[in-house]
Amino acid sequence: MLLTDISPLLSATTAGESYSDFVRSYLTVAIFGLLALGMVALLLGVGSIIRPNRPQPGKYLTYESGVDPVGEAWPQTQVRYYIFALLFVIFDVEAVFIFPWATRLDSETALVDSSGNVFEILGPYGSYGLVKMLLFIAVLALGLVYAWRKKVLRWM
Amino acid sequence: MNILAAVGVDNPPLDWHALAPELVLVGLLAVLLLVDAFGGERSRWAMPSLTGIGLLAALIPVATLAYDGVVRSMFDGAYVVDNYALLFKALFLIAGYVVVLLSTNYIAEGDYWEGEYYQLLVASLLGMTVMASARDLISVFLALELLSIPAYMLAAWRKRDLGSEEAGMKYYLMGVFASAILLYGMSLLYGMTGSTLLVDIAGAIEGTEVPALVALAVVLVVVGFAFKVSAVPFHTWAPDTYQGAPTPVTAFLAVGSKAAGFVALMTVVLIAFPTQPRIFEPLIWALAAVTMIVGNLIALRQTNLVRMLAYSGVAQAGYILAPLAVAGVSGASAAMAVEAVSTYLVIYAAMNLGAFAVVIAVARKTGSAEIDSYGGLFSYSPVLAVCMSVFLFSLAGIPPLAGWYGKLTIFLALIEPGTLAGYILAVIVGLASVIALFYYARVAKVMFVDPAPDGDTTPIRVPMSLAAALTITVAVTLVVGVLPQVLARVTGAETFLSIGG
Repeated sequence: MLLTDISPLLSATTAGESYSDFVRSYLTVAIFGLLALGMVALLLGVGSIIRPNRPQPGKYLTYESGVDPVGEAWPQTQVRYYIFALLFVIFDVEAVFIFPWATRLDSETALVDSSGNVFEILGPYGSYGLVKMLLFIAVLALGLVYAWRKKVLRWM
Repeated sequence: MNILAAVGVDNPPLDWHALAPELVLVGLLAVLLLVDAFGGERSRWAMPSLTGIGLLAALIPVATLAYDGVVRSMFDGAYVVDNYALLFKALFLIAGYVVVLLSTNYIAEGDYWEGEYYQLLVASLLGMTVMASARDLISVFLALELLSIPAYMLAAWRKRDLGSEEAGMKYYLMGVFASAILLYGMSLLYGMTGSTLLVDIAGAIEGTEVPALVALAVVLVVVGFAFKVSAVPFHTWAPDTYQGAPTPVTAFLAVGSKAAGFVALMTVVLIAFPTQPRIFEPLIWALAAVTMIVGNLIALRQTNLVRMLAYSGVAQAGYILAPLAVAGVSGASAAMAVEAVSTYLVIYAAMNLGAFAVVIAVARKTGSAEIDSYGGLFSYSPVLAVCMSVFLFSLAGIPPLAGWYGKLTIFLALIEPGTLAGYILAVIVGLASVIALFYYARVAKVMFVDPAPDGDTTPIRVPMSLAAALTITVAVTLVVGVLPQVLARVTGAETFLSIGG
């Protein structure tokens, strides 16, 4: 029973119309990828055939706007920027939710289908929505309070 | 409680009672954060106590909801509070409480970041309690990430220890890899059905004209969860992570995180895929069989107890997967499978947390988790040695300890449908248990027979919180083993499957 019943997997190739459509859309991707690879191979291949070959040490230096390269290729960045990026996420999340919420706080919103007919009118959030959003902001603000108390906001 | 809802004009009424356990955890999180932020060093000692009290407080609404007994469905059925959800919420909260007991001295004496440790622990537990109720792809995924991301950080908690960093990094990389696979499967499901509700998905994929896509989606989703529950061949992160992470965190991962993975797997498979047993049954059958055999065979060769427990945990995941491999035969077999998995998860939590409690207690003296360092434990700390034997023999499934009842429910679930596949898997469970007994018994032999390796036989001082954790876990292991009907009353599957259709 276990070993014979994998027919759905095997019948994949003979499945219905929509499945071959699904695969066909990936065919475009495959053709595009092959074209890109072929283009690279063609340009580099032709180039390697017709260009002159005169190796010099200067040609192997890292190019840095005409100046001789300075230092390692693996520099370190200040880790404190990373913490500010994390803090930014707090405000980012806040904004993502507040903008759509603000449009419905005080006014009705009409839902329109693809042919332009209004099929549902949503009421305003009102004071219930206001309280909810204030709670949400308060929870997010806790993270900021934590960062402030842990002296993350101080530039050392 | 309904003041907020009364103010609104046409907003959906929220069932505050049903959300109360999660709200208590969110409140606890806020309190911990503020106490840590404003209390500074003086408040450090209060962290574990506050967390423990908060987790017990979250159990109160779970109890009142269970007493109420009404199935509460919210957000169009995306979030359901029924007996099944409540059982797991209670399991996660109590397991979390025991982990707090295990952590108290370990984290305080290690001079780690106490405030953040307990905050992350509570955040992860919040994800688990949400997971127990999630009946929708989005809520399942959100819960999974909410419980995983704090766990990644906890695994790397010993910041300057290379092993711990490796543990956190491996766990994180494999975790996000699994999430990506899972998400791909989920996106295929949503693309085919146009719904994220598990019940709707079940209906929409029933007579589908694209069986190959359904098969791909089911396989990807199951494999995604197989990473989380560390089933072979997706188990490679588990031993390194378990060995490197701080031991209380290891206990938390091995019990809480794994149980949450199983809850998610069971929910998705039995509610969204009940019409596709031809795809998920052979897959889970193979996963379970390979996991049991490989996990036990590798565990035989381990010399480190935590690593051995990690591989034994892999093998136990195989036992827990097994009933799901025959869950699609009929409604009765699905009910038996849910009951077996729920029962085994509860028992597994008790005996595994207990084993880790002993490891932590012994490491306080020897500073080692090598099996050799347990030599002579019975001669100088007989209580610890007896406790450890109780947990190990329970893991092996010896009556009258709880493990045998867990194994029994698994055997019953495997035999119930009467299929050849079920019988063969039952035989494999039996054989694997025999192999497992060997390595569990070897640890017991070292503890009772071998002399102490360095001749140091001063007794181990067990702190209060560790003693409390040991008492709870030993009590559950013994009581469930002797009186299994206590547990059988709460692991029934009726409401869960009636919602699943």
